[in-house]
Amino acid sequence: MSLTPATVRIPAPAPAAPGEQWYAEFGARIYRYLRYHVASADEADELTAETFLRAVRAAASFDPARGNAKAWLFRIAQNVLRDARRRERRRGSVSIEAFRDLVSDAPSPEERLLHEEEVRRLLAAMDELSERDREVVSLRYASELEYPEIAGILGIREAAVRTRLWRALGRLREVLAR
Amino acid sequence: MTDDGLPSELAPVDRLLRRARFEPRESLGPEIGGRVRRGESPAVAHRHSRIYWASLAAGLVGLAAGARLLAVRSAGTVTIDRCCFDLDGGGYPDDGVLVVTGRGQRVERLRVYEDVDRSGGWSSGDRLKFERGAAPVLTGPPEAGAIATQCCLDWDGGGAADDGLMVVRSSPDRVVMAAIYETGPSPVTPVAGWQLR
Repeated sequence: MSLTPATVRIPAPAPAAPGEQWYAEFGARIYRYLRYHVASADEADELTAETFLRAVRAAASFDPARGNAKAWLFRIAQNVLRDARRRERRRGSVSIEAFRDLVSDAPSPEERLLHEEEVRRLLAAMDELSERDREVVSLRYASELEYPEIAGILGIREAAVRTRLWRALGRLREVLAR
Repeated sequence: MTDDGLPSELAPVDRLLRRARFEPRESLGPEIGGRVRRGESPAVAHRHSRIYWASLAAGLVGLAAGARLLAVRSAGTVTIDRCCFDLDGGGYPDDGVLVVTGRGQRVERLRVYEDVDRSGGWSSGDRLKFERGAAPVLTGPPEAGAIATQCCLDWDGGGAADDGLMVVRSSPDRVVMAAIYETGPSPVTPVAGWQLR
């Protein structure tokens, strides 16, 4: 018996789970935000997954009328990060694979290594900033959020975000200059 | 002032930060989706009682492991735990395999796990990706699908490195089945002359 086109059934794709939808929309930004705070891509992977698992668990409590999903997810990521830091997962020695997620347009392996070293130094300097300063820098540069979005997440005015960012960058410059 | 309105003395730091750009691996989204669909719980669901529950769980796991060890030893079986390979197509050698088997005989239990805590073996912090009992999942060689093999090692405890491990995935990071086979004329590819364990 041969199959005619009429007898072929193509199954409908499985509907995306809520976590997947959120990830598709905000996953990369959340990942980059977390990545500025941890030593390796592996840790960022795990914290990103934890953020979305918590979000799915708490989905019923999310009220769009009280705020957007992006800000809500970033607040969950902040809590995940806080818990991780409580568990003393600070930057120590990291594997050679730690920077496998670094985007680099270096034309040669040597320049790629130099770029990695530059970023390693930068993240080490970030570690010396206060929690508040690290937050504003990572939200602005890693997640590339606009000032009003950062203001919404941090619960402060937009002008205060700018001031805080400038001060944080100034401190970062001092640390790097040492 | 920079384009972004920053004072010019902050421009070098600004440039440095803009060059530090990270991108998550492509398989992370599907992996999280899989964990959500499997109903996995967040790691810190009940912070206030974690120590209590961790102690209780560790005690129960210890008791269960002890009982299982006694049962396994008395039955003349052996446990083989090997890590770490990229068996799920995720791109990283972080998958391990635990086999409980009669020496050179039937495989009683086959487990594929992700070595989450980097312990180099199966432990309570790892993520179970696949488990089967004494009955092989496959009844013949698969005709299609993504297949990873590890050959040849002593997977059945017989003493000779003549067994193959085959793991089949349906999408990156998702293991759907695994099998141990005794190698035949074609030792690396389980096509002809293989015998399921």
